Amino acid sequence: MHSVPGDRLFGLALWGAALSVAAVFAWLFVDLARLGLGALSWDFITTAPENAGRDGGIASILVSTLLILGVAVGVAAPVGLGAAVWLNTYTRAGGGTGRRIRLALDGLAGMPSIVFGLFGNAFFSVYLGLGFSILSGGLTLAAMILPVFIRTVEAGLGAVDDGWRRGAAALGLTQSAALAHVILPAAAPAIGAGLMLGIGRAAAETAALIFTSGYVDRMPESLSDSGRALAVHIYDLSMNVAGGDTHAAASALVLVALVACANLLAVALSRRLLTRRLAL
Amino acid sequence: MKHTLTFLATLLAVLAFLPAAHAAEDKLVLTGSSTVAPLALEIGKRFEAANPGVRVDVQTGGSSRGVADAMNGLADIGLVSRSLKPVEAKTLVAHTIALDGVALIVHAGNPVRQLDDAQIKAIYTGRIRDWRGAGGPDRPITVVSKAEGRSTLELFLHYTGLKNSQVRAQAVIGDNQQGIKTVAGNPGAIGYVSIGAAEYAVEHGIPIRLLPMAGVAATTDAVQRGRFPLTRPLNLVTHGAPSPLAARFIAFAQSPAVRDLIEAQYFVPPPR
Repeated sequence: MHSVPGDRLFGLALWGAALSVAAVFAWLFVDLARLGLGALSWDFITTAPENAGRDGGIASILVSTLLILGVAVGVAAPVGLGAAVWLNTYTRAGGGTGRRIRLALDGLAGMPSIVFGLFGNAFFSVYLGLGFSILSGGLTLAAMILPVFIRTVEAGLGAVDDGWRRGAAALGLTQSAALAHVILPAAAPAIGAGLMLGIGRAAAETAALIFTSGYVDRMPESLSDSGRALAVHIYDLSMNVAGGDTHAAASALVLVALVACANLLAVALSRRLLTRRLAL
Repeated sequence: MKHTLTFLATLLAVLAFLPAAHAAEDKLVLTGSSTVAPLALEIGKRFEAANPGVRVDVQTGGSSRGVADAMNGLADIGLVSRSLKPVEAKTLVAHTIALDGVALIVHAGNPVRQLDDAQIKAIYTGRIRDWRGAGGPDRPITVVSKAEGRSTLELFLHYTGLKNSQVRAQAVIGDNQQGIKTVAGNPGAIGYVSIGAAEYAVEHGIPIRLLPMAGVAATTDAVQRGRFPLTRPLNLVTHGAPSPLAARFIAFAQSPAVRDLIEAQYFVPPPR
């Protein structure tokens, strides 16, 4: 087999594309590490912020972030799973209702996050009277990650071999039993992927949170307290606080680690909870 | 599936009972200017420490929001980083806690040492597009201005007598640090930012230079003495007379007990 010059060029371009993606990530990470690694320590993670975040740590902000993410995933996961199963099982292929809902979901998935922020502020904070609170922020994020989560899970459910469904029916399993023991476990990777996408997007969110969960950097005592998320903290430190760059970079490193951990956890959890049943 | 359902039920139960825990005891809500917010947050922490049981919640969103929230009662105190307009002053009362100057900055490599008011206007309206037109090198000017609703923009427009629709900017930015970073990264850029933040940036080796305004050097010292032309007050505003708790907070924020906090945020304590 001989290689044509055009072909070689094509291969080179593909290599270049792959390499530049990796290089961008490496550059970003090295830049963050160079600036922030010096400030990163156990104390940084366990003490409260002082002097507008220039001094002290991020303990309260980390707790708020975890609570906001917890509310968002805790609400989005069951609701999203239900909606995806409904779309997959109870709507006819090519039917009008399902198509319209899918279109709406795809539209919502592409919506800029500030739109969800304004919606969350108007609906959860003002109309439902939740005020600036971790709950408002978490519910806003749940609304934001639902569309992507539902569509990912639905695609996963659609990829499950129809033979499995027929097999379950032939064994006389009820629809819910077939779902719990056969279909959902088979779609576990898609559910894990949907959760990962959702957590990643939620953890990186600033615009949707600044008007819902707010700016207060005190340690939250309940879900009805306002609590500053890591992304909001990073934004404020780098754009609004003179001399906040070092701690912004250190906080960003913590956020990257947090998202990585949350992703691993989501994948492990969906595998463990769901594939165990498949093995029985 | 059963686990998921149990979880969902628990969650709904929690959600149902949460609003009950919402009743605020001694709580002050402050919203508004992102410039004032970090300072208000620090003053709030010290106030909380001195008054156990009191909570001060600070939220940002810009001076316009501070005015609106104070007017419609969403906030006990609005944060506004400019003087109140006559129409706002009919219903709102301003309590100044600090001063801040706004100065023009250019890249440190730019040989231009000063601009007169006519040149500033010409640059911001796009009549001078190259530094050659302002006594500098042959390099296009990148005009950096602020987004609508920012009080630095309003102050700048007031000083130059321009309307925002006349400004021809290549970059429209939000917060001070963003302005400093934009100018530091572009040898042809010109922008206007808070003097305190710019002084800090210069001290820490960020390549920008402050330009004098109307012949007065841009320093926090000149701001404090009231000599710098582009000076703005940082205000706490209330709808009419403040509530007793808000009044105590305002008195605390205007007392010498928070002077170090004002300086730590690179603002200027008002002369007493």
